[in-house]
Amino acid sequence: MASEDEISLLVIVVDVNPIWWGQQAQREQEFTLSKCLDAVMVMGNSHMAMSRTNKLAVIASHCQDSHFLYPSKSWKAGDDGADDASSSGDGKYELLSVANNLIAEEIRNVMSKTEVRGNSTDTLLAGTLAKALCLGQEIKSRILVIKAAEDCALQYMNFMNVIFAAQKQNILIDACVLDSNSGLLQQACDITGGLYLKIPQQVALAQYLLWVFLPDSEQRSQLVLPPPAHVDYRAACFCHRNLIEIGYVCSVCLSIFCNFSPICTTCETAFKIQLPQMVKPKKKKLKQTT
Amino acid sequence: MASLSEEVLLVVKKVRQRKQDGTLYLMAERVAWGPEGKDRFTVSHLYADIRCQKISPDGKAKIQLQLVLHTGESTTFHFANESSALKDRDATKELLQQLLPKFKKKANKELEEKNRMLQEDPVLFQLYKDLVVSQVISAEEFWANRLGGINNTDPAVVNNKQEVGISGAFLADIRPQTDGCNGLRYNLTADIIESIFRTYPAVKQKYSENVPHNLTEKEFWTRFFQSHYFHRDRINTGTQDIFSECAKQDEKGLKSLVIQGVKNPLVDLLSLEDKTLDEGYGICTTLPSTSNANKTVKESSNSAIIKRFNHHSAMVLAAGSRKGEAPTDQASETSSTDGNSRDSDFFQPPVKKVKLQEAIEYEDLQRENRPKTVALNLKKSDRYAHGPVPLQSQHYTTSQDIINSVNYIRHEMMNYKPNLTEVRFYTAFLMITKSHNYQKETINRSEILHCIAVFLSCVVLVER
Repeated sequence: MASEDEISLLVIVVDVNPIWWGQQAQREQEFTLSKCLDAVMVMGNSHMAMSRTNKLAVIASHCQDSHFLYPSKSWKAGDDGADDASSSGDGKYELLSVANNLIAEEIRNVMSKTEVRGNSTDTLLAGTLAKALCLGQEIKSRILVIKAAEDCALQYMNFMNVIFAAQKQNILIDACVLDSNSGLLQQACDITGGLYLKIPQQVALAQYLLWVFLPDSEQRSQLVLPPPAHVDYRAACFCHRNLIEIGYVCSVCLSIFCNFSPICTTCETAFKIQLPQMVKPKKKKLKQTT
Repeated sequence: MASLSEEVLLVVKKVRQRKQDGTLYLMAERVAWGPEGKDRFTVSHLYADIRCQKISPDGKAKIQLQLVLHTGESTTFHFANESSALKDRDATKELLQQLLPKFKKKANKELEEKNRMLQEDPVLFQLYKDLVVSQVISAEEFWANRLGGINNTDPAVVNNKQEVGISGAFLADIRPQTDGCNGLRYNLTADIIESIFRTYPAVKQKYSENVPHNLTEKEFWTRFFQSHYFHRDRINTGTQDIFSECAKQDEKGLKSLVIQGVKNPLVDLLSLEDKTLDEGYGICTTLPSTSNANKTVKESSNSAIIKRFNHHSAMVLAAGSRKGEAPTDQASETSSTDGNSRDSDFFQPPVKKVKLQEAIEYEDLQRENRPKTVALNLKKSDRYAHGPVPLQSQHYTTSQDIINSVNYIRHEMMNYKPNLTEVRFYTAFLMITKSHNYQKETINRSEILHCIAVFLSCVVLVER
């Protein structure tokens, strides 16, 4: 077996966009944020139970910022932890129960304190991922993203930078998508070598998490997991934002257009396209010498 | 006279092609044939396209000339003039013989050049394969950009390989081998001979004067090696030798070299002279009182050897730098460092200046002469930040919706308590984990997975 002293870190990034979850709660009573967090805790417990040297971190990604649910800054090791553990009463491994309680407490704080301002209704996923990357610097780590709301186009640049940074550090990014497919996360999983899954049934979140995302990268090769999704790498043209396969690229500023235009609208360079030349047939005339 | 755009070299009347009467025209770049009475040429071939020409054997009644093209096609001309058919045909043939090679060479030369470029540069070859062989662009377009300098037949541009200099030890390579009985064998290769000629132009001159009129090559070289010129201790120069003049010339050259001195004002050779402080420190220069005749044999032979080595080195260097140098290059100092006395004063000032300039200036401190570039000026740079997320109509949420949702979720989470036993098969999971005393030993990972798999399947069965 591989060295058991190897620390393996799992960072779970949970998308707690209150608007989406609030609407979700009104849509479907069966699967709410509470149930989602329960499943996340199950996943976290399982990961920590797999090996003594496994570590866990949980980050909640909100509209304006991101918060660490576990490990939390207010955690004092020792006395408080012991008290809580004894209260759980079912003989669980202390670490697990402590973790659960902490996560619960933190999420209560997060959801009660934060306010949503009108214009920023999108989850700050790129920032959260960046924080997650900072955690897993020198140890073997992977990130699991549980995504609820849609992609935010404004975070594209930051997102891509985060993805490439993760690739350089050999950190896997897995994605578990609850509602709508996310092109950015698909790219992230493809580039870093992680798994992307859109869950068919939200109530069974825990099952999917444990089946697909619990094994780490070495063990995944021995399991039959859902096949990788086809990633749409097409670029979007600058004029209409349509996804195109073949287009015109300005050689000066590298902006992409779907139609040829003689002046690039970004850098104002003028271009000429050569038209096919007309070839006139030549006639040879000669006069006889007299 | 025919009003053509090209120069006509030869006109042959009464030439039949495909059983039609007509006239054959040989022009500067092509051969053409037009039927009798018509204005236009029906047959026209560029010389570059013609691979070869064939003529009918002399005995035959029909006097014909056939042109075979590179493509494999052939055109036959039948010379039907009763009186001068044979003459015409031969005249045509000879003209073609002169013209074809010129054009053929051009075409071949281009092909050769292309092949050479492809072979020398593997990156270019790969590019060619990727673009032309897979028919992304045609071969003409590919070569259009690259063959800019091909058509100026300037061999100096094409051969950008370095010239090989002369080895300083080439004379040492001629090791004499004993011939058995008191004789010596010298093995001379063409390389060594060439080196000798390049280094000592005087010898080359003697060679061209004497061989093959007076002496055979073998004799020349025998005399050369026997001469005191070669072995020269330069003490007895009295013998009548074809090479004694060479010796005198060398002396003269050496003297002129010494007079010229070194062009570089920063190099001070005189400081290397032996300095004397007192008797016992360095060499005493009280010798001038003694006449030359008192010089010991040893000293004069020492100075002769040193002279000889200096001269040899100077000649080797000069020969190496003499070749391939433009005669109009005025700033070069090398043109005057060979032993042949040339007027070196003309060259002196610019060289000194150049050396001084080099010593003063540091390239790093100069202003960089980078090509002038145009600044990139982006108007709408925020376009780049937008990802490939198409602008679709997203769910529009009213502000009222937002407020409602936020309140709802806040209310829900206020009373949140983890209720893990409700999570499917979590209890089963706990049972397994409890069965291992994991505070004392690490759980086997694969065991856990196996258990999970088992329980998943159980759950599925239970559901049904």
